[in-house]
Amino acid sequence: MLGLEQHLVALAILLFGVFAGSLGAMLGLGGGVLMIIFLLLALNIPAHQAVALSLIAVIASSSTAGSVYIKDRMTNLRLAMVLEAFTVTGAVLGAFLALSLPVSAIQAMLGCVLFYTSATMLKGRRSGEPGCEGEGALRGEFYDEQACATVKYGVKNLKLGVAASLVAGAVSGMVGIGGGVIKVPIMNIVMKIPIKAAAATSNFMVGVTAAASAAVYFQGGLVDVQLAAPTVLGIMVGAYVGTRLLAKSRSEVLRRILATVLAFFGVVLLLKAGGVLAW
Amino acid sequence: MVTVEGLISWVLRAGVLTGAALASVGYFASSEVAWIGVLALILTPFLRVMMAGIYFLMKRDLAYFGLAAYVIMMLVIGSFLHMI
Repeated sequence: MLGLEQHLVALAILLFGVFAGSLGAMLGLGGGVLMIIFLLLALNIPAHQAVALSLIAVIASSSTAGSVYIKDRMTNLRLAMVLEAFTVTGAVLGAFLALSLPVSAIQAMLGCVLFYTSATMLKGRRSGEPGCEGEGALRGEFYDEQACATVKYGVKNLKLGVAASLVAGAVSGMVGIGGGVIKVPIMNIVMKIPIKAAAATSNFMVGVTAAASAAVYFQGGLVDVQLAAPTVLGIMVGAYVGTRLLAKSRSEVLRRILATVLAFFGVVLLLKAGGVLAW
Repeated sequence: MVTVEGLISWVLRAGVLTGAALASVGYFASSEVAWIGVLALILTPFLRVMMAGIYFLMKRDLAYFGLAAYVIMMLVIGSFLHMI
């Protein structure tokens, strides 16, 4: 039987899951890093178990939010498939590269890139506005509930986007942060995809990549299945709230929240590079 | 009318609800049930890419069907070889 302490841990995970899930679904990041930090620092759960649970959280968040975004046609399925193909390729290449590269240098570098990206998002007010030109087969449209308008957009700088996806796949395994943190800003700033479509499309991808990693942890028996229940329940509620927040928010507000979260991740990566945080 | 988007949406919701229900029952009853719940959850994204592949195939969009097949292949290889 489970003791009182275990129930309290489960309750804490459930409550924090609501927060991580809503932020993750709203921004298309999955919410895994927030989960890891909470499990590590607040609950003292061992690093490999924290990572395994966070992967379960990302899958739950991505599937819950995905069921809403796909039905509402917010997800650009074609674009998701193109970028995901490069991400998984990057992930497999990264597994080989990781053996020979100084990981802390990459973490510090990516941390600085995130600060720069965050500043670009806050500064460039016009940069995220949709443009109609761009790749024909990948163009998309969705109904923006907040703006009461159908938004049509094209995809620009596809080559840069796929290159970034390759890098995102390669480094996310090394630095311990999901590819969404790199892909959402790239889709928005470089490929000029509206933030809402970028978040929904990234949301489709993060779950897929997380599932491949989760399968590895699962085979190794590293998933604490008892703690999976509160994780999934909390994240599910949060992710549903997150999809509503995305629909009802102004794009500019979403961009500002994303910029804040990116700066926070920049700090996290620098702390990891310095050895203060480890997972 | 049944759309492919609607179908993928349904599969995702069914997957996550099944996972959540089994994991919750398992939390109070037995860890074997929770184990199956977690497995169901982990399989949901694989299923999602497969359904997207079928969607492209139905639209005779062979290039994108190929991409979906490639993604699944890499995921399976990657997770078996512990590379991702």
